[in-house]
Amino acid sequence: MTKYQLDTFDHQILKVLASDARLSNRKIAQALGVTEGTIRGRLKRLQEENYLRFTAVTALSYLGNPLLVFIGVTAEQGRVKEVAQAIAEMGGIRSVIITLGRFNILVVGMYGTLQEVLDVANNSILALPGVRHVETSISVKQLKYDTRLAKITRPFVPVDDDE
Amino acid sequence: MVGNGGKAGRYEFDETDRRILELLKVNGRATNQKIARLLKISAATVSARIRQMEDAKAMKVIAATDFSAFGYNILIAIGVEVQGRPAEDVAQELAKLSQILSINLVTGAKDIEILLAVHEFSELSDFLLNDIAAIRGIRSLSPAIAVDTVKFDFDIAPLS
Repeated sequence: MTKYQLDTFDHQILKVLASDARLSNRKIAQALGVTEGTIRGRLKRLQEENYLRFTAVTALSYLGNPLLVFIGVTAEQGRVKEVAQAIAEMGGIRSVIITLGRFNILVVGMYGTLQEVLDVANNSILALPGVRHVETSISVKQLKYDTRLAKITRPFVPVDDDE
Repeated sequence: MVGNGGKAGRYEFDETDRRILELLKVNGRATNQKIARLLKISAATVSARIRQMEDAKAMKVIAATDFSAFGYNILIAIGVEVQGRPAEDVAQELAKLSQILSINLVTGAKDIEILLAVHEFSELSDFLLNDIAAIRGIRSLSPAIAVDTVKFDFDIAPLS
């Protein structure tokens, strides 16, 4: 099955939402000169096709300004998937990406203390069957980050819209 | 800014803020009226709290789009080694490149971690031979090409 590809109109909607993600369907419809139902339908499809999610992003202070930690994991090639899934369940883990290159899995975590980094990287991950090596590096300064671009991995949960 | 927070680092989320946020993280487009009804508070309170958190840059409701919505089919996490130049200067120059989505100065074997997004592999030649080649002080690049994303949570991030 081929995945739905966004058209120009979808991109126009995304552009409007980029300035205000909470704009009502009615206002988006007015801005683009279409009916409210058209907007509702497009937003539903974009979410169902995992192209779009609406969420509140909270500042790092929400977690008490944690350390941002990158953990490169080298694992036996045949066990990479199971190792990645086990890591994804651990506390503080934000992202788990299976890669081809300098390590097998890139893990991103947020932790309040170095002790928590030690517990996850050096104790929990390293102890998993199939893991050969972990390389931890801590972000000392973030220069660039785009909150609106992401990899959507969680299933879409429809909510009743009472707008 | 990671670690030291800045202005947003000082915002204290109270119980009401956190309950509103729990709902907005599930559905960023839930109306003030709906949130008010679920939490048994007034819609005016919901509206005021949301504005207060947004003004303090403590929270922002976003329409997050998948990389693929813009045709970014290839993501590469690259560790950059710097030589003979302050790593921060190199990072500042890298930040100007639109294909680079995130940049962190890090401790460890590498000096800078970047996330690069391209539509197709052919774009890498321009990136390497023109963009990167023009930046002084880059000693080496070590790539890891994303092949499967098991988890990617994006609801906590630096807001500036």
